[in-house]
Amino acid sequence: MFRCSVVLCGRGAAKRFASSFSSESALPPNLLLPSNLVDPARLRRGPPPRLAPPSPQQTLERLDAEPLGLTELHPDVFAVRPRLDILHQVETWQRNFKRVSHAHTKVRGEVRGGGKKPWNQKGTGRARHGSIRSPLWRGGGVANGPRGPTSYYYMLPMKVRVQGLKVALSSKMAQDYLYVVDSLELPSPDPQYLLDLIKHKHWGGSVLIVDVGEDFSENILRATANLKTVNIIPALGLNVHSMLKHEALVLTLSTVRFLEEKLLWHDERFMSLYPFALPYSDLP
Amino acid sequence: MKTVISESTEEYKFVERLIPPSRVPTPPKHAGPAPSGWTPPADTPPPLPYMIRRSRMHNIPVYTDLTHGSRKTTLVRKVEGDIWALENDVKQYLKEVVGKELPTQVNEVTMTLKVKGHFDSELKQWLASKGF
Repeated sequence: MFRCSVVLCGRGAAKRFASSFSSESALPPNLLLPSNLVDPARLRRGPPPRLAPPSPQQTLERLDAEPLGLTELHPDVFAVRPRLDILHQVETWQRNFKRVSHAHTKVRGEVRGGGKKPWNQKGTGRARHGSIRSPLWRGGGVANGPRGPTSYYYMLPMKVRVQGLKVALSSKMAQDYLYVVDSLELPSPDPQYLLDLIKHKHWGGSVLIVDVGEDFSENILRATANLKTVNIIPALGLNVHSMLKHEALVLTLSTVRFLEEKLLWHDERFMSLYPFALPYSDLP
Repeated sequence: MKTVISESTEEYKFVERLIPPSRVPTPPKHAGPAPSGWTPPADTPPPLPYMIRRSRMHNIPVYTDLTHGSRKTTLVRKVEGDIWALENDVKQYLKEVVGKELPTQVNEVTMTLKVKGHFDSELKQWLASKGF
Protein backbone atom coordinates (compact mmCIF):
# COMPACT_ATOMS: atom_id res chain seq x y z
CA MET A 1 0.00 0.00 0.00
CA PHE A 2 1.32 3.40 -0.88
CA ARG A 3 1.86 5.31 2.34
CA CYS A 4 3.01 8.88 2.09
CA SER A 5 5.35 10.93 4.21
CA VAL A 6 5.04 14.67 4.22
CA VAL A 7 8.30 16.37 3.28
CA LEU A 8 9.96 19.11 5.26
CA CYS A 9 13.26 20.85 4.62
CA GLY A 10 15.49 20.86 7.68
CA ARG A 11 17.96 23.42 8.94
CA GLY A 12 16.20 26.65 8.10
CA ALA A 13 15.98 26.01 4.41
CA ALA A 14 12.99 28.34 4.25
CA LYS A 15 15.43 31.24 4.61
CA ARG A 16 17.21 30.09 1.47
CA PHE A 17 14.08 30.61 -0.58
CA ALA A 18 14.11 34.32 0.32
CA SER A 19 15.14 36.36 -2.68
CA SER A 20 17.62 39.18 -2.45
CA PHE A 21 14.68 41.58 -2.33
CA SER A 22 13.95 40.33 1.18
CA SER A 23 13.86 43.86 2.57
CA GLU A 24 10.95 44.86 0.27
CA SER A 25 7.76 42.85 0.20
CA ALA A 26 6.44 44.22 -3.14
CA LEU A 27 7.71 43.02 -6.51
CA PRO A 28 9.71 45.58 -8.52
CA PRO A 29 7.48 47.70 -10.80
CA ASN A 30 9.35 46.89 -14.00
CA LEU A 31 8.99 43.10 -13.60
CA LEU A 32 7.41 41.39 -16.62
CA LEU A 33 5.89 37.99 -15.87
CA PRO A 34 4.64 35.65 -18.61
CA SER A 35 0.92 34.89 -18.37
CA ASN A 36 1.45 31.10 -18.54
CA LEU A 37 3.61 30.94 -15.42
CA VAL A 38 1.20 28.73 -13.45
CA ASP A 39 -0.33 25.73 -15.17
CA PRO A 40 -4.16 26.26 -15.03
CA ALA A 41 -4.72 22.48 -14.90
CA ARG A 42 -2.80 22.43 -11.64
CA LEU A 43 -5.00 25.08 -10.09
CA ARG A 44 -8.09 23.10 -11.04
CA ARG A 45 -6.64 20.00 -9.36
CA GLY A 46 -6.89 21.41 -5.90
CA PRO A 47 -4.32 21.83 -3.13
CA PRO A 48 -1.79 19.06 -2.46
CA PRO A 49 -2.91 16.67 0.31
CA ARG A 50 -0.44 17.83 2.94
CA LEU A 51 -2.04 21.27 3.13
CA ALA A 52 -5.50 19.76 3.70
CA PRO A 53 -6.57 19.09 7.31
CA PRO A 54 -5.69 15.52 8.48
CA SER A 55 -8.35 13.03 7.42
CA PRO A 56 -9.75 10.56 9.96
CA GLN A 57 -8.18 7.09 10.28
CA GLN A 58 -9.14 4.92 7.32
CA THR A 59 -8.53 1.28 6.48
CA LEU A 60 -5.32 0.61 4.56
CA GLU A 61 -7.12 -1.02 1.65
CA ARG A 62 -8.64 2.28 0.65
CA LEU A 63 -6.92 4.80 -1.60
CA ASP A 64 -6.84 7.46 1.13
CA ALA A 65 -4.11 7.31 3.70
CA GLU A 66 -2.96 10.03 5.98
CA PRO A 67 0.66 11.20 5.81
CA LEU A 68 2.98 9.10 7.94
CA GLY A 69 5.27 11.83 9.20
CA LEU A 70 7.87 14.40 8.27
CA THR A 71 11.06 13.68 6.33
CA GLU A 72 14.11 15.82 6.92
CA LEU A 73 15.71 16.82 3.62
CA HIS A 74 19.21 18.27 3.40
CA PRO A 75 19.08 21.89 2.17
CA ASP A 76 22.28 21.52 0.14
CA VAL A 77 20.55 18.93 -2.05
CA PHE A 78 16.89 19.95 -2.00
CA ALA A 79 17.11 23.73 -1.53
CA VAL A 80 19.91 24.98 -3.75
CA ARG A 81 19.49 28.06 -5.92
CA PRO A 82 17.37 27.44 -9.04
CA ARG A 83 20.15 27.69 -11.64
CA LEU A 84 18.29 27.40 -14.93
CA ASP A 85 21.50 27.83 -16.89
CA ILE A 86 23.00 24.72 -15.27
CA LEU A 87 19.80 22.75 -15.97
CA HIS A 88 19.98 23.83 -19.62
CA GLN A 89 23.64 22.88 -19.88
CA VAL A 90 23.11 19.44 -18.37
CA GLU A 91 19.98 18.77 -20.44
CA THR A 92 21.68 19.68 -23.76
CA TRP A 93 24.73 17.65 -22.76
CA GLN A 94 22.53 14.62 -22.04
CA ARG A 95 20.95 14.92 -25.46
CA ASN A 96 24.07 15.57 -27.48
CA PHE A 97 26.94 13.66 -25.94
CA LYS A 98 25.55 10.33 -27.15
CA ARG A 99 24.85 11.67 -30.64
CA VAL A 100 26.78 10.26 -33.56
CA SER A 101 25.51 11.71 -36.81
CA HIS A 102 26.06 9.27 -39.71
CA ALA A 103 25.36 11.81 -42.47
CA HIS A 104 28.05 11.35 -45.13
CA THR A 105 28.43 12.70 -48.67
CA LYS A 106 31.01 11.94 -51.30
CA VAL A 107 33.55 14.57 -52.29
CA ARG A 108 34.52 15.04 -55.95
CA GLY A 109 37.47 12.69 -55.49
CA GLU A 110 35.29 9.92 -54.03
CA VAL A 111 32.58 9.95 -56.69
CA ARG A 112 33.07 7.20 -59.23
CA GLY A 113 34.68 8.46 -62.44
CA GLY A 114 35.81 11.97 -63.27
CA GLY A 115 39.55 11.47 -63.77
CA LYS A 116 39.68 12.55 -67.43
CA LYS A 117 39.28 16.06 -68.74
CA PRO A 118 35.92 15.90 -70.62
CA TRP A 119 36.96 18.09 -73.58
CA ASN A 120 40.03 20.19 -74.43
CA GLN A 121 40.56 23.46 -72.72
CA LYS A 122 40.30 25.54 -75.87
CA GLY A 123 38.67 25.08 -79.26
CA THR A 124 35.21 23.76 -78.36
CA GLY A 125 32.89 26.62 -77.60
CA ARG A 126 31.91 25.10 -74.23
CA ALA A 127 32.96 26.13 -70.71
CA ARG A 128 36.25 24.80 -69.46
CA HIS A 129 36.06 21.78 -67.10
CA GLY A 130 38.57 19.42 -65.61
CA SER A 131 36.38 16.57 -64.43
CA ILE A 132 32.78 15.44 -64.78
CA ARG A 133 32.43 15.00 -61.03
CA SER A 134 33.21 18.51 -59.83
CA PRO A 135 30.57 20.09 -57.57
CA LEU A 136 29.32 22.25 -60.45
CA TRP A 137 28.21 19.18 -62.37
CA ARG A 138 25.04 17.16 -61.99
CA GLY A 139 26.06 13.88 -60.34
CA GLY A 140 29.24 15.45 -59.04
CA GLY A 141 30.55 15.45 -55.52
CA VAL A 142 29.30 17.73 -52.75
CA ALA A 143 31.63 20.64 -51.98
CA ASN A 144 31.08 21.28 -48.24
CA GLY A 145 28.72 18.52 -47.15
CA PRO A 146 28.68 16.44 -43.95
CA ARG A 147 31.74 14.24 -43.75
CA GLY A 148 31.42 10.84 -42.25
CA PRO A 149 30.19 9.86 -38.82
CA THR A 150 30.71 12.90 -36.60
CA SER A 151 30.65 12.52 -32.88
CA TYR A 152 29.22 15.24 -30.67
CA TYR A 153 30.76 13.76 -27.54
CA TYR A 154 31.87 16.09 -24.77
CA MET A 155 31.80 15.84 -21.00
CA LEU A 156 30.70 18.52 -18.63
CA PRO A 157 32.74 18.66 -15.41
CA MET A 158 31.54 16.17 -12.80
CA LYS A 159 30.63 18.91 -10.36
CA VAL A 160 28.44 20.68 -12.95
CA ARG A 161 26.51 17.48 -13.58
CA VAL A 162 26.12 16.91 -9.85
CA GLN A 163 24.92 20.49 -9.39
CA GLY A 164 22.43 19.90 -12.21
CA LEU A 165 20.92 16.97 -10.28
CA LYS A 166 20.74 19.05 -7.12
CA VAL A 167 19.08 21.95 -8.97
CA ALA A 168 16.55 19.62 -10.56
CA LEU A 169 15.68 18.05 -7.20
CA SER A 170 15.37 21.49 -5.61
CA SER A 171 13.12 22.70 -8.42
CA LYS A 172 10.83 19.70 -7.96
CA MET A 173 10.78 20.40 -4.23
CA ALA A 174 10.06 24.09 -4.70
CA GLN A 175 7.22 23.46 -7.15
CA ASP A 176 5.53 20.89 -4.86
CA TYR A 177 6.17 18.09 -7.33
CA LEU A 178 8.33 16.00 -4.96
CA TYR A 179 6.72 13.23 -2.90
CA VAL A 180 8.40 10.89 -0.44
CA VAL A 181 6.98 7.43 0.09
CA ASP A 182 8.28 4.84 2.53
CA SER A 183 7.89 1.74 0.38
CA LEU A 184 6.66 0.85 -3.10
CA GLU A 185 4.31 -2.03 -2.30
CA LEU A 186 1.05 -2.05 -4.18
CA PRO A 187 -1.88 -4.33 -3.33
CA SER A 188 -2.46 -5.23 -6.98
CA PRO A 189 -0.49 -5.21 -10.26
CA ASP A 190 -3.29 -3.35 -12.01
CA PRO A 191 -2.07 -0.23 -13.87
CA GLN A 192 -5.51 1.33 -13.47
CA TYR A 193 -5.18 1.16 -9.69
CA LEU A 194 -1.93 3.10 -9.91
CA LEU A 195 -3.47 5.71 -12.19
CA ASP A 196 -6.44 6.11 -9.84
CA LEU A 197 -4.11 6.45 -6.87
CA ILE A 198 -2.10 9.16 -8.64
CA LYS A 199 -5.25 10.99 -9.70
CA HIS A 200 -6.73 10.82 -6.22
CA LYS A 201 -3.57 12.17 -4.62
CA HIS A 202 -3.24 14.92 -7.25
CA TRP A 203 0.38 14.04 -7.93
CA GLY A 204 0.47 15.21 -11.56
CA GLY A 205 0.11 14.12 -15.16
CA SER A 206 3.29 12.02 -15.33
CA VAL A 207 5.14 10.43 -12.43
CA LEU A 208 8.72 9.22 -12.11
CA ILE A 209 9.19 6.69 -9.31
CA VAL A 210 12.71 6.18 -7.99
CA ASP A 211 13.88 3.40 -5.68
CA VAL A 212 17.31 2.25 -4.49
CA GLY A 213 18.55 -1.20 -5.43
CA GLU A 214 17.92 -3.62 -8.27
CA ASP A 215 14.97 -5.58 -6.87
CA PHE A 216 11.55 -4.03 -7.10
CA SER A 217 8.32 -5.72 -6.04
CA GLU A 218 6.61 -7.47 -8.92
CA ASN A 219 3.34 -5.56 -8.51
CA ILE A 220 4.83 -2.15 -9.19
CA LEU A 221 6.88 -3.49 -12.11
CA ARG A 222 3.86 -5.00 -13.77
CA ALA A 223 1.74 -1.92 -13.09
CA THR A 224 4.24 0.48 -14.66
CA ALA A 225 5.36 -1.82 -17.49
CA ASN A 226 2.79 -0.73 -20.05
CA LEU A 227 2.08 2.76 -18.76
CA LYS A 228 3.60 5.60 -20.74
CA THR A 229 3.25 8.37 -18.17
CA VAL A 230 4.32 6.48 -15.04
CA ASN A 231 7.87 5.13 -15.04
CA ILE A 232 10.08 3.52 -12.43
CA ILE A 233 13.88 3.77 -12.39
CA PRO A 234 16.63 2.75 -9.95
CA ALA A 235 18.30 5.58 -8.02
CA LEU A 236 21.51 5.24 -10.04
CA GLY A 237 19.52 6.08 -13.18
CA LEU A 238 18.26 9.44 -11.89
CA ASN A 239 19.00 12.15 -14.47
CA VAL A 240 17.95 15.69 -15.27
CA HIS A 241 16.19 14.83 -18.54
CA SER A 242 13.89 12.28 -16.88
CA MET A 243 13.14 14.67 -14.05
CA LEU A 244 12.21 17.42 -16.48
CA LYS A 245 10.18 15.06 -18.66
CA HIS A 246 7.99 13.78 -15.83
CA GLU A 247 5.84 16.12 -13.82
CA ALA A 248 5.97 14.51 -10.39
CA LEU A 249 8.90 12.77 -8.72
CA VAL A 250 8.26 10.07 -6.13
CA LEU A 251 11.22 8.98 -4.00
CA THR A 252 11.38 6.36 -1.28
CA LEU A 253 12.99 7.19 2.05
CA SER A 254 16.02 5.04 1.30
CA THR A 255 16.41 6.81 -2.05
CA VAL A 256 16.46 10.17 -0.31
CA ARG A 257 19.23 9.01 2.04
CA PHE A 258 21.17 7.44 -0.84
CA LEU A 259 20.94 10.57 -3.01
CA GLU A 260 21.92 12.84 -0.14
CA GLU A 261 24.97 10.74 0.68
CA LYS A 262 26.16 10.55 -2.91
CA LEU A 263 25.46 14.17 -3.86
CA LEU A 264 26.85 15.74 -0.69
CA TRP A 265 30.12 13.82 -1.01
CA HIS A 266 31.02 16.00 -4.00
CA ASP A 267 30.95 19.10 -1.78
CA GLU A 268 33.74 17.88 0.45
CA ARG A 269 35.91 15.65 -1.71
CA PHE A 270 39.48 16.12 -2.91
CA MET A 271 40.39 16.27 -6.60
CA SER A 272 40.79 12.72 -7.84
CA LEU A 273 44.35 11.36 -7.61
CA TYR A 274 43.27 8.45 -9.79
CA PRO A 275 39.82 7.63 -11.22
CA PHE A 276 37.12 7.21 -8.60
CA ALA A 277 36.30 3.79 -10.03
CA LEU A 278 39.46 2.50 -8.29
CA PRO A 279 39.32 1.96 -4.53
CA TYR A 280 39.54 4.84 -2.07
CA SER A 281 39.23 4.32 1.65
CA ASP A 282 35.99 6.28 2.19
CA LEU A 283 33.96 6.48 -1.01
CA PRO A 284 30.21 6.92 -0.40
CA MET B 1 61.00 -31.21 -0.41
CA LYS B 2 57.62 -29.99 -1.67
CA THR B 3 56.85 -26.25 -1.47
CA VAL B 4 53.45 -25.53 0.05
CA ILE B 5 51.49 -22.52 -1.18
CA SER B 6 49.26 -20.95 1.44
CA GLU B 7 46.97 -17.96 0.99
CA SER B 8 46.73 -15.34 3.67
CA THR B 9 44.62 -12.22 3.65
CA GLU B 10 45.90 -10.82 6.93
CA GLU B 11 48.68 -8.84 5.33
CA TYR B 12 46.13 -6.85 3.28
CA LYS B 13 45.82 -4.41 6.17
CA PHE B 14 49.20 -3.00 5.13
CA VAL B 15 47.69 -2.18 1.70
CA GLU B 16 44.49 -0.81 3.16
CA ARG B 17 46.24 1.77 5.29
CA LEU B 18 48.01 3.11 2.19
CA ILE B 19 44.80 3.75 0.25
CA PRO B 20 44.16 7.52 0.44
CA PRO B 21 40.95 9.09 1.73
CA SER B 22 38.67 10.88 -0.70
CA ARG B 23 37.18 13.48 1.66
CA VAL B 24 38.87 16.64 2.95
CA PRO B 25 39.42 16.15 6.71
CA THR B 26 38.10 18.68 9.23
CA PRO B 27 40.98 20.83 10.54
CA PRO B 28 42.19 20.29 14.13
CA LYS B 29 41.00 22.68 16.83
CA HIS B 30 43.15 25.81 17.16
CA ALA B 31 42.83 28.41 19.89
CA GLY B 32 42.75 31.49 17.68
CA PRO B 33 44.74 31.74 14.43
CA ALA B 34 47.02 28.88 13.35
CA PRO B 35 50.78 29.48 12.82
CA SER B 36 50.16 29.78 9.05
CA GLY B 37 47.64 32.58 9.57
CA TRP B 38 44.55 30.46 8.98
CA THR B 39 41.60 31.35 11.22
CA PRO B 40 38.81 28.86 11.83
CA PRO B 41 35.23 30.06 11.20
CA ALA B 42 33.19 31.15 14.22
CA ASP B 43 31.11 28.46 15.92
CA THR B 44 27.86 30.30 15.28
CA PRO B 45 27.41 32.24 12.03
CA PRO B 46 27.41 36.04 12.58
CA PRO B 47 23.97 37.75 12.81
CA LEU B 48 24.19 39.40 9.38
CA PRO B 49 21.69 39.20 6.49
CA TYR B 50 24.28 37.34 4.37
CA MET B 51 26.49 34.30 4.85
CA ILE B 52 29.77 33.37 3.17
CA ARG B 53 30.57 29.69 3.29
CA ARG B 54 34.07 28.32 3.47
CA SER B 55 35.57 26.51 0.48
CA ARG B 56 36.01 22.74 0.63
CA MET B 57 39.55 23.31 1.92
CA HIS B 58 38.11 25.47 4.74
CA ASN B 59 39.40 28.77 3.32
CA ILE B 60 37.64 32.07 2.70
CA PRO B 61 36.36 32.14 -0.92
CA VAL B 62 37.99 35.40 -2.09
CA TYR B 63 40.00 35.10 -5.31
CA THR B 64 41.89 37.51 -7.56
CA ASP B 65 41.96 37.50 -11.34
CA LEU B 66 44.16 39.20 -13.93
CA THR B 67 42.81 39.43 -17.48
CA HIS B 68 44.10 41.31 -20.52
CA GLY B 69 47.43 41.71 -18.74
CA SER B 70 46.31 44.64 -16.61
CA ARG B 71 42.69 44.18 -15.52
CA LYS B 72 42.59 43.30 -11.83
CA THR B 73 39.42 41.94 -10.22
CA THR B 74 38.66 40.40 -6.84
CA LEU B 75 35.90 37.79 -6.69
CA VAL B 76 33.91 36.81 -3.59
CA ARG B 77 32.15 33.48 -4.16
CA LYS B 78 29.75 31.26 -2.16
CA VAL B 79 27.55 34.09 -0.89
CA GLU B 80 24.14 33.27 0.51
CA GLY B 81 21.34 35.57 1.62
CA ASP B 82 21.15 39.31 0.92
CA ILE B 83 24.04 39.90 -1.49
CA TRP B 84 23.23 43.60 -1.85
CA ALA B 85 23.82 44.18 1.86
CA LEU B 86 27.21 42.50 1.45
CA GLU B 87 27.95 44.76 -1.52
CA ASN B 88 27.16 47.85 0.57
CA ASP B 89 29.35 46.67 3.43
CA VAL B 90 32.23 45.79 1.10
CA LYS B 91 32.00 49.17 -0.65
CA GLN B 92 31.99 50.99 2.68
CA TYR B 93 34.94 49.00 4.05
CA LEU B 94 37.01 49.42 0.90
CA LYS B 95 36.25 53.14 0.88
CA GLU B 96 37.89 53.41 4.30
CA VAL B 97 40.84 51.30 3.11
CA VAL B 98 41.44 52.91 -0.28
CA GLY B 99 39.68 56.27 -0.08
CA LYS B 100 37.46 56.11 -3.17
CA GLU B 101 34.34 54.28 -4.38
CA LEU B 102 35.29 51.12 -6.25
CA PRO B 103 33.09 49.70 -9.02
CA THR B 104 31.50 46.39 -8.03
CA GLN B 105 29.42 43.83 -9.90
CA VAL B 106 26.78 41.67 -8.23
CA ASN B 107 25.74 38.46 -10.00
CA GLU B 108 22.51 37.28 -8.41
CA VAL B 109 22.33 34.08 -10.43
CA THR B 110 25.70 32.74 -9.28
CA MET B 111 25.67 34.77 -6.02
CA THR B 112 29.13 36.26 -6.54
CA LEU B 113 30.56 39.72 -6.05
CA LYS B 114 33.33 41.23 -8.21
CA VAL B 115 35.34 44.27 -7.15
CA LYS B 116 37.75 46.18 -9.37
CA GLY B 117 41.30 45.86 -8.07
CA HIS B 118 43.23 43.31 -6.02
CA PHE B 119 41.90 43.34 -2.43
CA ASP B 120 42.04 39.67 -1.53
CA SER B 121 44.15 39.97 1.65
CA GLU B 122 42.11 42.92 2.98
CA LEU B 123 38.79 41.23 2.25
CA LYS B 124 39.96 37.91 3.70
CA GLN B 125 41.04 39.57 6.94
CA TRP B 126 37.82 41.57 7.11
CA LEU B 127 35.62 38.52 6.55
CA ALA B 128 37.63 36.46 9.03
CA SER B 129 37.25 39.19 11.65
CA LYS B 130 33.48 39.12 11.05
CA GLY B 131 33.48 35.40 11.83
CA PHE B 132 32.78 33.87 8.41
